[in-house]
Amino acid sequence: MKIGRPFADDARSCSRSIGSRRLLWLPERASEVSGHIWRSFVRQGYPVTVRERTAIMVNNFFLHVHPPRVHPHSLRPTYTLGLGLITALLYAILAVTGLLLMLYYVPATAEAYGKMQDLIFVVAFGRLVRNLHRWAAEAMVVAAFLHMCRVFYTAAYKPPREFNWVVGVALLLLTLALSFTGYLLPWDQLSFWAITVGTGIVSYFPLLGDGIRFVLLGGDTVGGEALLRFYVLHVGILPAATTVLIAYHFWRIRKDGGLARPAQAGNNHAATVLSFPRVAAIELLLLLALLVFLVPVSHVFDAPLAQIANPEHPPNPAKAPWYFVGLQELVSYSAFWGGIIVPGLVLLGLLLLPYLDRRPHGIGEWAFRQRRWAWILWTAFVLVTAVLTLVGAQFRGPNWNFYWPWEGWPGPG
Amino acid sequence: MLRKLLLLLSLALVAILVVIGRDVADPEWKQYQRAYFDLAMANARTEAERAWAEGQRLEIRQVEVKGLGRVDRCTTCHLAIEDPRMTSAPEPLRAHSALVQSHPPQRLGCTICHGGEGRAVTSLAAHGEQGEEPSRLLKGELIQAACFGCHGRQTLPPRDIAAVIRGERLVNQYKCLRCHQVRGQGGSEGPDLSTVGSRRDWVWTYAHLLNPQAMSPGSTMPDYPLTGDEARDMTAYLLTLRGPDGEVHDRRFLPQSPAPPALAARQVAEEVALRGLENIPAPVYRGETLFWGAGCGNCHAIGRRGGEVGPALTYIGRSRDAEWLERWLKDPAAVVPGARMPRSYLNERQIRALVEYLGMLGK
Repeated sequence: MKIGRPFADDARSCSRSIGSRRLLWLPERASEVSGHIWRSFVRQGYPVTVRERTAIMVNNFFLHVHPPRVHPHSLRPTYTLGLGLITALLYAILAVTGLLLMLYYVPATAEAYGKMQDLIFVVAFGRLVRNLHRWAAEAMVVAAFLHMCRVFYTAAYKPPREFNWVVGVALLLLTLALSFTGYLLPWDQLSFWAITVGTGIVSYFPLLGDGIRFVLLGGDTVGGEALLRFYVLHVGILPAATTVLIAYHFWRIRKDGGLARPAQAGNNHAATVLSFPRVAAIELLLLLALLVFLVPVSHVFDAPLAQIANPEHPPNPAKAPWYFVGLQELVSYSAFWGGIIVPGLVLLGLLLLPYLDRRPHGIGEWAFRQRRWAWILWTAFVLVTAVLTLVGAQFRGPNWNFYWPWEGWPGPG
Repeated sequence: MLRKLLLLLSLALVAILVVIGRDVADPEWKQYQRAYFDLAMANARTEAERAWAEGQRLEIRQVEVKGLGRVDRCTTCHLAIEDPRMTSAPEPLRAHSALVQSHPPQRLGCTICHGGEGRAVTSLAAHGEQGEEPSRLLKGELIQAACFGCHGRQTLPPRDIAAVIRGERLVNQYKCLRCHQVRGQGGSEGPDLSTVGSRRDWVWTYAHLLNPQAMSPGSTMPDYPLTGDEARDMTAYLLTLRGPDGEVHDRRFLPQSPAPPALAARQVAEEVALRGLENIPAPVYRGETLFWGAGCGNCHAIGRRGGEVGPALTYIGRSRDAEWLERWLKDPAAVVPGARMPRSYLNERQIRALVEYLGMLGK
């Protein structure tokens, strides 16, 4: 696949590259019979000429988010790795599967767990939809983080894109919050104790900690109010906020002049190519690839479901969800330093990064040589995060004692 | 290139969905139902039997136990439990023992006695053998422990709860209550066992008895030289110790007892209110009605009834003799300085009736 090479704009090459009009069943002959009806819901036929292919980006509701022309640099798979798009597509998969799950789920302590079992055992494709939702959620956390890494390494946060980086950090936090609130909903031992531990970390926040935790849980312990509150956050408040911010994130990409690219890549109209059909085709391709990967995985691997939540029987060790286990590991050294100071500084650093690092070096490129120290610092940050998460998730046994993988924990809790 | 990839991935996705759809359409339980109806068809002797076997649909069957929030789908696979022709069929198509007649599964479900996951319809999950903390079916004699979920000890014939009785004897023999507490009695060295039956899976309890350190690292509990049978019997007894969550409070499930003690207690309470306690002659009531009528039960429990402020008195007759009980009831502080129990306002004869009753408990 030769991506990045400008397309020829004539009609023949277009139909060669995407298929004849008849293949897509477009009403050429039938237009005399049904043309009027067809026109009523398709505002424009399959675009062939340059003019039509420019106009369709405005005329079509679903394509409207794209610009009519893009720079070929933005289409290079080796530049973006498609990570931002993958994150957004996973969010779409989560929205669809989440809505299906809402048809069965009841956010009450007496019923939630039974509904999970009903979904798994009785509802047609319920197990598949639940697993898809779970694995897509885990994948979205990973994809959002990797997307942030890509943007850092290619210096895409530098002016004029500073604020969109800040929006991206907010979106990462929202992704974590969505995942965290969803974690409680199955109401099993894993979710109950993970949320107990996770909200316990919140209470280390100076002065306001206990208050925030109380508001979050609707009480002092994880119970019926917390379940309802997390549910409302998970299906209402957070998705609304995320959807608006994603839309804003996309909008800012266009307003900031498209994806970041090196100055020498050229900026005039002649350097750009028509978006249609390649951009839409790439997006569809990535969606299909994600589904081809996620659907079989979700059919084979079950999302975890332990015994029903039992507040009197804490597991040992009780662990936070995996993306907060690194934080839990830090807290195990020092509640104040590990729970407040370090994560606080990391968050502050992330938010201020584009305003501190303003040198226009290496924008839009994987340029290690121009930004050696930035690369080393960020890679160190990623490695420390990964090691802390790995240690917390895999090497911590009962009483948070350290165990090598070959040692094995002494007996089940 | 892009076009070919799109086509390829679309076809792959369709193929994947077809494969998954076929998987979903042919679950494990359908095999058992088919086998059962085929068997019924082959053995059918009358036209009616043949018509019945032919008319059966493959579908999930469930019992919703009202008031307990239980949904048991066990009969989806074990669908012949009440079919007398299937007494020697292989599982899951074997008929249930005669016990099923007095415990109708249409009303009680299955997990109330057998444990396991009632909502599951795959054998591994339903039998509680999956996941991090399995809740396995109660096997063999362990199932005797389940009787205590609904029935009081006195109403159960000893031969039906032999393992539990042996287990209780062993718990006394090994002096478990030196360190552990059960409903307020016993030592405080080890964990309270009052609700151990609803906290722990039987496999855990059994393994823990045989090797405490393996299940609870760093446990100070001695490694008693128990045989497998002894550990099983003790497990059966420990499983009967359940918290309020593990108990069946719905009295509709119990057989009607001839004279509920609560009624007698209420009559006494009404008389006390009407005439004053001291004016009622002792022979009017026995110690038991006095216990509930005079307010002892507000703080003390006997069996599953009563309060939790003071120690449970279920087995008090074993540890205290009549002379001690009498002294205690007259003035607790004189026996144990600083005792929290208030001084008695009962008269001599009432105290004697109460001592007689308490002395019997647990014997």
